[in-house]
Amino acid sequence: MSVSSNKRQALLPGETGRVAGLLSAFILLLAVLPILTMIVMSFSGAANLDFPPSSYSLQWYRAAWHTFVSPDASDVLSLGQAMGTSLLVACLTMIFATLIAVPAAYALTRCEFRGKAVALQLMSLPLVFPMVVLGLALLLVFDSLPFQMTTSRLVIAHVILALPFVVKNCTAAMLGIGSEVEEAARMLGATPRRAIVDVVVPLMKSGILAGMLLAFIVSFNEFTVTYFLYTIDVMTVPIWMYSRTVSSLDPTVFSFAVLIVLIDFVLIWALEKLVGEGGVSF
Amino acid sequence: MEHQALTHPQSVAPMRSRRSLSPTARAWFFLSPSMLFLGVLIAASLLVLRMSVGTKGAEWSGFSLASYGQLLEPYYLKSLLLTLRLALISAVIAVLLAIPVAYTMSRLASPLLRRVFLAAVLLPLLVNLLLQSYGWLVILGPAGMLNQALIGLGLIKRPIMLLYNQNGVLMGLVQTAFPLAVLPIASAMRGVARSYEEAAATLGASRFQVFRQVVLPMSLPGIITGATLVFAYNASSFVVPLLLGGRRVPMLAVMVHDQIAPLMNWPAASAAGVVLIVTTLLIMTLSEYFTGRRRRMLEASQ
Repeated sequence: MSVSSNKRQALLPGETGRVAGLLSAFILLLAVLPILTMIVMSFSGAANLDFPPSSYSLQWYRAAWHTFVSPDASDVLSLGQAMGTSLLVACLTMIFATLIAVPAAYALTRCEFRGKAVALQLMSLPLVFPMVVLGLALLLVFDSLPFQMTTSRLVIAHVILALPFVVKNCTAAMLGIGSEVEEAARMLGATPRRAIVDVVVPLMKSGILAGMLLAFIVSFNEFTVTYFLYTIDVMTVPIWMYSRTVSSLDPTVFSFAVLIVLIDFVLIWALEKLVGEGGVSF
Repeated sequence: MEHQALTHPQSVAPMRSRRSLSPTARAWFFLSPSMLFLGVLIAASLLVLRMSVGTKGAEWSGFSLASYGQLLEPYYLKSLLLTLRLALISAVIAVLLAIPVAYTMSRLASPLLRRVFLAAVLLPLLVNLLLQSYGWLVILGPAGMLNQALIGLGLIKRPIMLLYNQNGVLMGLVQTAFPLAVLPIASAMRGVARSYEEAAATLGASRFQVFRQVVLPMSLPGIITGATLVFAYNASSFVVPLLLGGRRVPMLAVMVHDQIAPLMNWPAASAAGVVLIVTTLLIMTLSEYFTGRRRRMLEASQ
């Protein structure tokens, strides 16, 4: 695309042509189409789900705001409470996942040890493990415990789900530092622990932050496992939305959805800025 | 601070501090907090395995293979086959769509465009599947966008049913798992140095030939990884068949949940869950084997 300003110069090998670029843009448009549709629908002035809407208005936003400030008596739980739970669980997930992922990433990049291959495989297990089975399995575990866990069992589940993302990002950040920095600190008299805490960890700050953001996003958007583990008085926003729309889809949900997508988009954009394009590891 | 270093001269020598653990013990010490959480996951899956051979009513003490036998009944067998078929088709379609996108992404020069592309790839992966399914409900409904487009193009006379059948579910599966195909393929293609493409072009290959005979074979490990991820992800997909399929497209994950929520049949749910785990692990191992072999071949040829 950038070469087209020159005279009719042929594309160099390794540059994508206009056709491939347009095709990719079209496919990506299809990939985000459900999200875009939802955003358009939230501004609908009609009461049905026809697309495109026959008129546009902010009526669903008003209705959504009304739901938020004065919850119906029919709802078991208000959106405010669900939002509070979601944010609490997401923040705790972010903190715990990061605290346990940083030392793990250190071991995986800096140490040669027996069982490393096994450890690496285990770390990516939650990525491919069927979510429904994870939900079922954790439900079995938590139900057989003699004491009640409500919010904490959601946090444990979300930490397991977010762990691979955080470890991958921290590992990538640590690989970029090089062990000579740490060795230099050790030469200058720092203990191994100080070399890690004062030198290595600050240097990999952006990778850690990226992992934290991803952990937050994963937890904030998680539905399947939470669906198995929620209790009637502790539910997250996605569960709240599902319980509200299980019988019929009412368009106020689209306004909530737009809010969530907006939060996600800001976080993703921040994530990309932090680690540079192509730097997010999965 | 300085005299502290002097009073502990032994810490100056790297790798040989006084109370040094063996490297293996030290590494596992660092890994132990994460392993605690992963241990919960493993213990939980073992419980599922135990539960799957239990009997209803005496889940922890009984032993029978009845739940697995039940999976061989036509209804369940059909669900298993349906799950595998939809996962396979969605993996093929997702990879075919992902290849041009990944190639474009790996060769984009403008930083802004790269960020926009990456955001468009990450959104479907990270945004709550429930919300995306709501979007699909609007697109696929009888008066939805797709039906209107098809009528507008004169391809159909009356709205066709897209919701609550396999077509709708398949579209949802492809879209939600699409990023899992793009990301590994893009990273594999970024690894193919431009000099190979230039060499091929110098030798007279057309642009398409360069792509078809150089870039594509060299990024095959990424393509296999992408296909595997999509397959595994969709084989256990829950939200998409639940919302877009109603109860008419009973994929395995939906059955697992149905066995618990209305039926309270824990052994049956666990047996179906074990089948899901085994399927996933099998496909991952196979893919690992093929990509490993392919990678070694590529390395040997360079």
